[in-house]
Amino acid sequence: MESAKGFKKFFNEKMVTLLVLLVIVVAAFTVLSKNGSYLHPANIRNIFSLMVVTSLLTLAVGCLMISGNIDLSTGANGTLCGILFALLLQGGVAWPVALIATLLIGMAIGAFNATLVNIVGFQPFIATMAVASVAKGLTYVANNAVAVPVKDPVITWIGTERFFNNLLPVTLIIAIVAFVFYTVLMGATEFGRSVYLIGGNREAARLSGIHPVKISYILFINSGMLSALAGILLAARLKSGTVTGVVNMQFSGMTAAMLGGVSFGGGSGGFGGVFIGMLIINGFNNGLTVLGVSSYWQTVASGVLLLFALTVDYLNMKRRGKRVSKRG
Amino acid sequence: MERCLEFKGIEKAFPGVRALQDINFRVKGGRVLALLGENGAGKSTLLKIMSGDLRADAGTITLNGREMNFSSPNDAIRAGISVIYQERQLVPAMSVAENIFPGIPPRGALGLVAGKQLKRQAQELIDKFGLSIDPAAPVGTLSVAYQQMVEIMKAYRRDSDVIAFDEPTAPLTDAEIAILFDLIRRLKEAGKIILYVSHRLSEIFQVTDEIVVLKDGRLVAEMKTSETGEQELIRAMVGRDIGDTYAGLNRNDKIGEVLLEVSHLETDVLRDVSFTLRRGEIVGFAGLVGAGRTEVARAIFGADPVSSGEIKIEGKPVRFKTPKDAIDAGVALCPEDRKEQGLVLFRSVRDNVTMPILAKVKRGLFLDNHAEDEITIDAVKRYAIKTPTVDKIVMELSGGNQQKVILGRWTSSKMTTKILILDEPTKGIDVGTKAEVYQMVCDFAGQGIGVIFISSELTEVVNISDTIVVMHGGRVTGQMTRQEATEEKVLALAMLD
Ligand SMILES: Nc1ncnc2c1ncn2[C@@H]1O[C@H](COP(=O)(O)OP(=O)(O)OP(=O)(O)O)[C@@H](O)[C@H]1O
Ligand SMILES: [Mg+2]
Repeated sequence: MESAKGFKKFFNEKMVTLLVLLVIVVAAFTVLSKNGSYLHPANIRNIFSLMVVTSLLTLAVGCLMISGNIDLSTGANGTLCGILFALLLQGGVAWPVALIATLLIGMAIGAFNATLVNIVGFQPFIATMAVASVAKGLTYVANNAVAVPVKDPVITWIGTERFFNNLLPVTLIIAIVAFVFYTVLMGATEFGRSVYLIGGNREAARLSGIHPVKISYILFINSGMLSALAGILLAARLKSGTVTGVVNMQFSGMTAAMLGGVSFGGGSGGFGGVFIGMLIINGFNNGLTVLGVSSYWQTVASGVLLLFALTVDYLNMKRRGKRVSKRG
Repeated sequence: MERCLEFKGIEKAFPGVRALQDINFRVKGGRVLALLGENGAGKSTLLKIMSGDLRADAGTITLNGREMNFSSPNDAIRAGISVIYQERQLVPAMSVAENIFPGIPPRGALGLVAGKQLKRQAQELIDKFGLSIDPAAPVGTLSVAYQQMVEIMKAYRRDSDVIAFDEPTAPLTDAEIAILFDLIRRLKEAGKIILYVSHRLSEIFQVTDEIVVLKDGRLVAEMKTSETGEQELIRAMVGRDIGDTYAGLNRNDKIGEVLLEVSHLETDVLRDVSFTLRRGEIVGFAGLVGAGRTEVARAIFGADPVSSGEIKIEGKPVRFKTPKDAIDAGVALCPEDRKEQGLVLFRSVRDNVTMPILAKVKRGLFLDNHAEDEITIDAVKRYAIKTPTVDKIVMELSGGNQQKVILGRWTSSKMTTKILILDEPTKGIDVGTKAEVYQMVCDFAGQGIGVIFISSELTEVVNISDTIVVMHGGRVTGQMTRQEATEEKVLALAMLD
């Protein structure tokens, strides 16, 4: 049982490190912001209502990364879906129909990614980046780069309603439900285990009767669906489908997942850590806005944070890699 | 000056295991020392400490009177110590030459020249070993045996004082083993110090001068090879007599109707392969490296595409598209290469054992961790897998114990296997457990399972199998019963063109 304890200890250590990082981020922005406005209820409300977008994109790319894959098109896919959703509503389509149709479009883009990666055999990095570029272009073409208003009362209610003293947005509930769902799915089911096994050793998993291609399709389609949902919910919150939408947010998702312990190499990382990673990224992005940092510098800062997460992951992999190769 | 390597009071502990305790011994130049012991006895750990890969908790190693204090494997190499590890360390995408001479990247205009020179030097080395390997070929395209030979050449060209081999022959067949032994003798004549780890006792008597036996991390016996015998060695290693492995087997004599019928099977590698397997029968596959035995297994299992021919199970033609279909139809394949095709190294022993039976260990929608634990504990007991808990990450097990995890996976109680294919199942497994594995194979046959037993150890195939199929160059060159078979006959057929 000693090693079980050791494992728990390691897990806790990692969690503690993440929580400390979260506290540092919050403390730093509180001190730096004028009169501590970072922790002002109005801003906390803001943080909470933005969380759903980061959460969904983190979950989307997190599952794929565990399987040893990557999707860089989530931001562009979500943005395209956000504007298409707004256009459908504007065109008089009933909201449930528009919602389902848009989710299907997101999923179709995911399936296309999966085909490029699994059937054609392109590198996931390049393939999904190219798809992102196509989606981004289509976003501009869709309505000549003009924002499309969203007026449907049900949708705007979902996007903006808050319970409990204005603190608990409907979207936050969606984010939390999604996190719980994926945590259980990945941690306690046959499907989740298969994803980890494929990420750990694809050929061994295949020879043990697991279908790597099938699971890769499911994960890419899932990623497309979550991206579309993120775009829809942002449009609902802003009451408008815009060409900037959730664009470039795929990097926030990746950073959150990696901070949370999901490795680029695949096969490792749990969603408990990823949740905190997501809180850190979300708090970080909002903090920069509160401080009035220009969006150009925000991009720089996000890049630096991603580099930081990559470095941590690289050092971990190097340590592990060394141990793998010398095992005997 | 005569070379001398000495270990003094070496200690090493891992969480839950004392891997080495108070190890003291010395070896002189021009001697080959065998390091023996059961799986998990601490052999590889000792070599890793010597090569600077691990740090001892206590104790010192001295080479030629100087204390060695390495902080990295590079220090050890510079000090004249080379270790050929049990698990290969090559970069599959790089060429043979680049792997033999790492750290000399042939790039740019000058690099082109350097690249040619590298290739020539590699070719010289390959010729010296008498092998037919293309120095420009990516290592990943070579057979496991040739990869091992590349590993050996890589260490050889460093011209170290101390060369340690950790189970070098596990993936090799007799042809390459002969080359290797020849090389060891040459190194010995040059006055080098050689450490040799192997579970094949016959090899110990062929190439070594002295023997050190480890048991549970302690040094339990030291002797001269010429003054001991196989039974005494086994007693020192296992702590008891195990008798004659093969004569003591409780075999199955009820061989039933035809279970598997392969006719005129062809793939990229295979040419017109036909054979049958009956219920309760053990069919052994013998042959040299590259003979196509693994390919037969993979083709039946749906792991590789079949171009023509017929496979029938219980009279019904089958052509599995994926391993999943094969498993569902009752075919299990325990693969040859545990690192590439077998294990998920960063997952626990439990996760590795239950891989093919996940659908059967569910309660409702969720995996039943309790049931998984039970199945794994059963496998750990049957194969005497040395691990403190089933949660231990497989990577932290010793090489032989990793192999036992794969065996445990493919023979777990939840598998409903009709046809069990074992590809080099005893690779890296110690003598005591080997006998148990043989008995288990016979027991499976006794339950009416048809077993295909692929092995490069001739003695093993010839003695375990009811029928022996010999292959060469992708074809079946002969078939005989155990009663008819001798090692000489099998070998002759294995070399037949
Ligand atoms: N990195 C590690 N972390 C934890 N335990 C380890 C590690 N490396 C080795 N061990 C443990 O130390 C013990 C000795 O392992 P070692 O690899 O030296 O055995 P071995 O004698 O080489 O066995 P084999 O014949 O199976 O190769 C084993 O119980 C193993 O589980
Ligand atoms: Mg070992």
